[in-house]
Amino acid sequence: MAIQQKILQKLLLRKGSQSRLWMAWMTLCIGTTLLLLTVLIWWNFQQLLYGKNDADSLGSSFITISKKVTSENMGRPQLTTFSQADIEELRKTAGVQDIGVLTSNKFPAYIQLSGTLNFATDIFLEAVPDRFIDKKPDSWFWDSSIRQLPIILSGEFLNLYNYGFATSQGLPQLSEATIQTLAFDLVVGNPDRRETYSAHVGGFSDRIASVLVPQSFINYANSRYGSALSAAPSRLIVKIADPSDKSFVDFLEKHNYVTNTENLRWSKLRSVVEVVVAATGVLALLLMSISMLVFTLFIELTIAQAQQSLELLTQIGYAPSFLRKFMTRRFVPLTLGAVLLALFLTFIAQYATSLVVAREQLDLPVIPGIHIWITAALCLLLLYWQIHRGIAKALK
Amino acid sequence: MIFCASTLMQLTLQKLLPIPLRDKITHNSSDIWLQDLSLSKGEHISIQAPSGTGKTTLVHMLYGLRNDYEGTITWDHKALHQIHVEELSKMRATYISIVFQDLRLMPELTAWENLELKRSLTNTISPELMEDMMERLGIRDKKHRLTKTLSYGEQQRVAIIRSLLQPFDWLLMDEPFSHLDHLNIEKATALIAEIAQRNHAGILLADLEKNDYFRYHKRMFL
Repeated sequence: MAIQQKILQKLLLRKGSQSRLWMAWMTLCIGTTLLLLTVLIWWNFQQLLYGKNDADSLGSSFITISKKVTSENMGRPQLTTFSQADIEELRKTAGVQDIGVLTSNKFPAYIQLSGTLNFATDIFLEAVPDRFIDKKPDSWFWDSSIRQLPIILSGEFLNLYNYGFATSQGLPQLSEATIQTLAFDLVVGNPDRRETYSAHVGGFSDRIASVLVPQSFINYANSRYGSALSAAPSRLIVKIADPSDKSFVDFLEKHNYVTNTENLRWSKLRSVVEVVVAATGVLALLLMSISMLVFTLFIELTIAQAQQSLELLTQIGYAPSFLRKFMTRRFVPLTLGAVLLALFLTFIAQYATSLVVAREQLDLPVIPGIHIWITAALCLLLLYWQIHRGIAKALK
Repeated sequence: MIFCASTLMQLTLQKLLPIPLRDKITHNSSDIWLQDLSLSKGEHISIQAPSGTGKTTLVHMLYGLRNDYEGTITWDHKALHQIHVEELSKMRATYISIVFQDLRLMPELTAWENLELKRSLTNTISPELMEDMMERLGIRDKKHRLTKTLSYGEQQRVAIIRSLLQPFDWLLMDEPFSHLDHLNIEKATALIAEIAQRNHAGILLADLEKNDYFRYHKRMFL
């Protein structure tokens, strides 16, 4: 059998076309890779736009909104808090994906640094549902049996201290890591009924300008030491598709709400990415079509060269089905190899991309999703069909 | 398997008329065209056909290479034009063998490769027997030469051996000895007769002239 295969190979697949074969194969590899990469870019873009995770993504931003303090509502806290009706109205606004309430402490609280640094200050605390926190520390958990309390500090506070306060007062600047090693005493409650917790800064948030503690702690302490002050929130955190959306901005203005956002950048970036992806897609499809054409032409050329031999072989008793299989076996591993190589390159690209965007606090899967597999399978099917058609035509 | 070995591969021709020769052929001008006849396995048949009477056309028609004819060719009770290509290739590999007038060897392969290509298809003849056949027809020393570099007579002998490297019930030959001398014809006919005998096969030889290459049961004019 091996000898027969060798003779058939000599007869049907000429050596002279070897270099042309590899050229055609390379073209196919490049075309397939580009197509898969385009799908990958598109898919990643989708992930960033509509991904369901805590991180900021291109598709949504987190902004905090509050009611503007004016001369008229000064000193009347009930006018600067959000009622349930306000929240419902906001929820119904186009583009709003989620709303979280920032719950503040309704009890006295101060921290003190015991030891050599004798330091104490009154502070405020806030809590927000965990899904709105951008960098959740591992220790982010509290229940009433625990004396340790994690805190998330706004990165802005640290900047104010390091670049404003410390430099002007001749105090040492502190790194994030240094602050995280410090343990504070957090004292909550009235003088007649107070508790001390060991608090530490677990992380820094860029999203919420506040001193955050776990929601469970605020709930516990508010019910235990809280005064009868209004429980209505004064700040809300909103997850929104496009904060620069005109109707949303109008809504904020109309209700006299203020926000921390300079979020136009996302929406600009988005339209740019959309154009780039579309252009790359068209280009990749074009290249894939050309490379497929080149490869198919090569197959047809090989078959055309072998046409006479194929005819002679059928005349001496070789079955067309056998010859079809023989020819197919020549090209199928090549197409399979090209598609697998393209898949491999796509995997590497996805892995690299996920590493790069991780540095930007964006979250992308390490392994490409189902769309890539489907595209690769479709490429393979299309190529099989082309090969099959070409060979069948020659053997008719 | 449709053509099992127990059935005698019978060849029946009914009112056969090749379309390109329709104007030339009239009733009773030929023993074959437009006649009804039946040929049985094991029979040796000579067809004498002067140029232009459709000798090669007939052989190609019997072998299933062309379909431009009226009437029916039946192999083993099955009309040839209805036989599927896959079946036809099986038939050619195991029941009907042929020596083409134009030989139809692969010029870019060596003599040995040409023969091995056929032998390995059914693998019913041993490589040793193949070598022996080449020895008997005097082309063993040419076996590694490219076929296109062989003389026509040598190529003819390769084609003859190739036709014997498979099991067959019928051997069709179209001017198989046109470029062979008497001595080589004798050797070739002896080899063919021997292998045909072993297969209990029929021989159908078409040639321009009357000949006595084999002991014919039937002689026909085309």
